[in-house]
Amino acid sequence: MESYANRKTKMILIYVVLILFAIINAYPILWMILNSFKTAKEYAVDKIGLPHSLHFQNYIDAWHTANFGGYFWNSIVVSVAAVIITVLFGALAAYFIARFDFKMSKTIYNFFIFGLLVPIHATLVPMFILMSKLGILNTRLSLIFPYVAFNLPITIFLLVSFMRSFPKDIEESAIMDGAGILRIFWSIILPMTRPAIATVVILSFINNWNEFVFALVLINNPKLETLPVGLQNFSGDHVTNYVGQFAGITMALVPILIVYLFLEKELVKGMTAGAVKG
Amino acid sequence: MHIDKKVKWGIALGLGPALLIYIGFAIVPIIISFYYSFMKWDGFSPMHYVGLDNFKQLFKDQLFWHSLKNNVYVILASVIGQLTLAMVFALLLNRRLKGAKFFRTIGFMPVVLSSVVVSLTWSLIYNSEDGLLNELLRAIGLHSWAQNWLGNEHLAMLSICVTIIWQFIGLYMIIFLAALQNIPREILEAAEIDGATEWSKTWKIIIPMMKDTIMAALVLAISGSLKTFDQIYVMTSGGPNHATEVSAVYMYNKTFQSLQFGYGSAISVFIFIFGLVLILLLNKFIGRSVA
Repeated sequence: MESYANRKTKMILIYVVLILFAIINAYPILWMILNSFKTAKEYAVDKIGLPHSLHFQNYIDAWHTANFGGYFWNSIVVSVAAVIITVLFGALAAYFIARFDFKMSKTIYNFFIFGLLVPIHATLVPMFILMSKLGILNTRLSLIFPYVAFNLPITIFLLVSFMRSFPKDIEESAIMDGAGILRIFWSIILPMTRPAIATVVILSFINNWNEFVFALVLINNPKLETLPVGLQNFSGDHVTNYVGQFAGITMALVPILIVYLFLEKELVKGMTAGAVKG
Repeated sequence: MHIDKKVKWGIALGLGPALLIYIGFAIVPIIISFYYSFMKWDGFSPMHYVGLDNFKQLFKDQLFWHSLKNNVYVILASVIGQLTLAMVFALLLNRRLKGAKFFRTIGFMPVVLSSVVVSLTWSLIYNSEDGLLNELLRAIGLHSWAQNWLGNEHLAMLSICVTIIWQFIGLYMIIFLAALQNIPREILEAAEIDGATEWSKTWKIIIPMMKDTIMAALVLAISGSLKTFDQIYVMTSGGPNHATEVSAVYMYNKTFQSLQFGYGSAISVFIFIFGLVLILLLNKFIGRSVA
């Protein structure tokens, strides 16, 4: 058994390590947010201290020089549209895979799961050509389709494993009452799946919101750029305007931080699900 | 559920939309990628079938091997730096601790940020003139250490790996923590009664029991490292002088800058297969040695 003094030293050591870890994680973000409120002059002199006052001019300038309103709107439209399609189609497919014993069900499930192994950039060239052949290159659709396709595997994986856990006799009593398959899906299975659907919605939203490569290659129209690409271009155009960059990055960062702080549980569950369950 | 004809139609209709989009925009592109890899094509004029020429060229392409070496560098950094540290933090957090929730929240935070936000932030931290890192070094008297972190060929890759480790450590920490919490208390208590120290408990009981999770984390880290693109594109676009070029960035440049669509596809196909083989080998190798 450890002595009391020993245990106390150990706890102090553990806390020191963890606090160090927390500082390293949080400080870069905090540093950036604080500097976004400094004037260029102030930053040139003092890069570490607190800003003298809450100086919002950098935000106003960034918002006016770059099309941040547009970037936000494009990211919202594309992300939300893709999430709705992903969850609707994904839930429907998961329902049939999880609740019906048909010959191909296992094969189709594995086929979807295989998608987790497909690296996005290996599809980049064909995707570019495919979109231009379909005539939707440089439209929002050219992002929505791949976002749906690449979020379906994890969606189906999470929803199938959740739906499989319901007892068998749920549908049987509903059938006795004369309900059709779609009716059972819509009014019984879907409401029961709500916790897993919440996870999937948040996970795929964040994936779409943060996505960079497809948005870089498939959209060439500055008016349709999503936030990550717009932000990257903004920084590229204002390399030495540090405070402006701080403001731009902070604008992109804060909404996601808020989502994270409110929906941490779902988000963490979704992002780690592949490894924890697989 | 019992299946009659009507249900069969229902299944087809229910699976149809998801399958259609998934096949059309994930599976078909990867198949076409294989097809393009046998072609010489600039994306506009007609394609020419060139057999394995692209792959022959690939094997002789010094810059490509250099970029693959950088991928291996990222893999090693992720496996050694990320997984090890994540395991340490998870082990420290896996006890009754005031503020455990706070450390978890802060620890996972970078994972939810977009790579672009993370990379731009770190670009400003590494900035040769006014960056936070140089400023901190000067503040503690290490003036000579201050330098151009991303502009120095010998340091740029290391600087980028630090950013990548920072971004994803929390992911693995939470994955390990979840697995740690699944280890039955009784086993650990029994070991304590037998006089096992924390150290031997960790090595002889906890780590072996987490074999599957560690394996999953390894696969995730390796496949993630092979996909590395955003951070490098944003921070250095592969420079200086190709020092930080990874295969995805090289592929992007070859395809969309030099318009070698066939050659770019060959690079993608090679990386895809390389990743699958690596994961299969890992599965065989580790799966056996631990079992």
